[in-house]
Amino acid sequence: MLLLAIVAIATLAANSARQLRYMAVAFFGVALAAHLIDDGSLSASQIVVSMCSALVASAILFVAARDRRYGEDPGWRLWLATIVAAATTAAAFAFLRPATGDDINANLLGPDPSGVTTEVAAFWLLSSGIAILLTARGAVRGSLGALLMLTGTQLLVRMVPGPELALTLLLSWLQVVVALAGAFLIVNQRAAREA
Amino acid sequence: MIEVIGLLGIAALVAFTVRKRLALVGTVTLAALAAAMAVVVVMPAEASGEVLELTWRMSELGRLAAVVLLGTLALLVLAVWVDEPAYNFFPTALVIAAVVLSVLVLTTPIAIYAALLLGLLVPVGSFTFQVHRNRSAEAAFRHFSFVALGGCLGMSALALSASLGRDQPPATFVLLVVILVVAFALKLAAIPFHTHAALLASEVPASALALYFGVLVPTTFIAFAEILVLSGLLPAIVEIGKVQDLLLSLGLTSALGGAFLATGSTELRRVAVYSVIANLGQSLVGIATLSGPGIIGGMAIALVTGLAATQQLLAAGTLERRAGADRPSATTAPLAALAFVVGGFAMIGAPPLVAFPGHFFVELIAYSYSGLLGTALVIATLGVLLAQLRAAMAIFRTAPDRWRIEQRPIAGIVGGLVFLALLVGGVQPDGFLRPIAAFAAEFLRALHPL
Repeated sequence: MLLLAIVAIATLAANSARQLRYMAVAFFGVALAAHLIDDGSLSASQIVVSMCSALVASAILFVAARDRRYGEDPGWRLWLATIVAAATTAAAFAFLRPATGDDINANLLGPDPSGVTTEVAAFWLLSSGIAILLTARGAVRGSLGALLMLTGTQLLVRMVPGPELALTLLLSWLQVVVALAGAFLIVNQRAAREA
Repeated sequence: MIEVIGLLGIAALVAFTVRKRLALVGTVTLAALAAAMAVVVVMPAEASGEVLELTWRMSELGRLAAVVLLGTLALLVLAVWVDEPAYNFFPTALVIAAVVLSVLVLTTPIAIYAALLLGLLVPVGSFTFQVHRNRSAEAAFRHFSFVALGGCLGMSALALSASLGRDQPPATFVLLVVILVVAFALKLAAIPFHTHAALLASEVPASALALYFGVLVPTTFIAFAEILVLSGLLPAIVEIGKVQDLLLSLGLTSALGGAFLATGSTELRRVAVYSVIANLGQSLVGIATLSGPGIIGGMAIALVTGLAATQQLLAAGTLERRAGADRPSATTAPLAALAFVVGGFAMIGAPPLVAFPGHFFVELIAYSYSGLLGTALVIATLGVLLAQLRAAMAIFRTAPDRWRIEQRPIAGIVGGLVFLALLVGGVQPDGFLRPIAAFAAEFLRALHPL
């Protein structure tokens, strides 16, 4: 539960940041906390791969900013994204949660084998990402929205039985490519605006 | 197969390193594509293997689609090399070749989806050019947003459906299938999710547009059908008619809307792009009928439309470049103009080209499904025909005293090669349709697993 709270607060920090560099650091915090949520199926190799890709993605955005001040003011979009994300998370959890009779272990620090914490974090990240992406004016917030959504997707894919390491690797590569494409767009949009 | 995908990846890295040495990068790219095609052709039927617990299998459809799509990529690379040098295009084409092969051979739905997203994001680099003078950066950003949104939603729906037990309430599966369908509609630019495609059509280079509509959109459509088969969600679609209705209405809206928008377009690129959207609508209707002929027709239309789109978009790019500030005209590039016109034959599914059986099957099965549906598809085809005729008349409005073939007529040559391939396929349709029929049989088995 503590990690879930960190995910939520770090998402809000990333969403409210006006500077891309703060956004990148906050995103790394989100990814770090999200990938450490233990649902009993975590392996060290998966955590290492996911962390590395999150670090690389954050670093790419950090470098793409080029200076400390560059970013995008969220304005009213921050509140809209937060309200939409909170409402959608509750709705998604109520509608899509597995109909099992497992007890929910909601202790503060220990693992949660029922997977509820992982699911809530995933739904929160997906709905926050959608809200940010849909209201984004440019590539700065667009990239953040896409990366948050992808982190949520990674959490859901982690719960799928099957080739776990292969899927983790694929999604990690995808995260790096999303960050690269986002950074490319950030640089190009900035060049177009400053011309 | 994994070695071939790795080879294409390494070739992409090499091509990126030497991307400014045009002769070298062009040779490396074409050689890598040719090697990949050769391996695909000589590989035994139903070859399979495993890497990191991910299984792969070369199906008959996979082989056919790989040859068509890699061939299209090779033609595109040739056109860019000779006529419109763009350094970033070569590594992009190689990465996309690797992605296409991965999508066609992998058998894990989430892995197919992740590979597809990689492929859809890579062309962002080829979409942006001269950002001070046009809105290509905005078009690329919109494409990025649509792909990220559709991709993450679709992959999440797949992950949830795979992790949930089969004893969930039906409404849960309906919601997941609806999310998956909408996610693919976003990536296929199906109407009403086509706004990014409209912006791309007018702002990005013709070769990048051909890469997207000629290779990536057909790959996305094949991935959609494969994921439906492999995810185990098909029985839920059969049980709950609403999902089938959603697919049908989405397909019909795209077919009619695309044809309507094509008839109203004055730009050659837009005519080609909206014709693709109309044809993909027909393909969606074919799949949504959940019948053998519908599935065969839908897949055939998607593959042939990719070839025709490549032919028309390259020709449109050449005509626009040669015309400069004037309206595109056949007088400046007669062979490219001819390529655009013959591309229109494939777009409307005219015989004797191999485009015909696909359209025939889908329209026939649509009539048997409901008279209204069949009539709507015929109207959509007539709309595309009208749009193509208008475009052809606009290009050939003025005629010079003496026709003279343009210099470096690569768009015309590519158009001629594509037309020849479609003609040969039309004369011998069995070779083209049999692998698709094998996939249709798999699809029908997945519909009724017991």
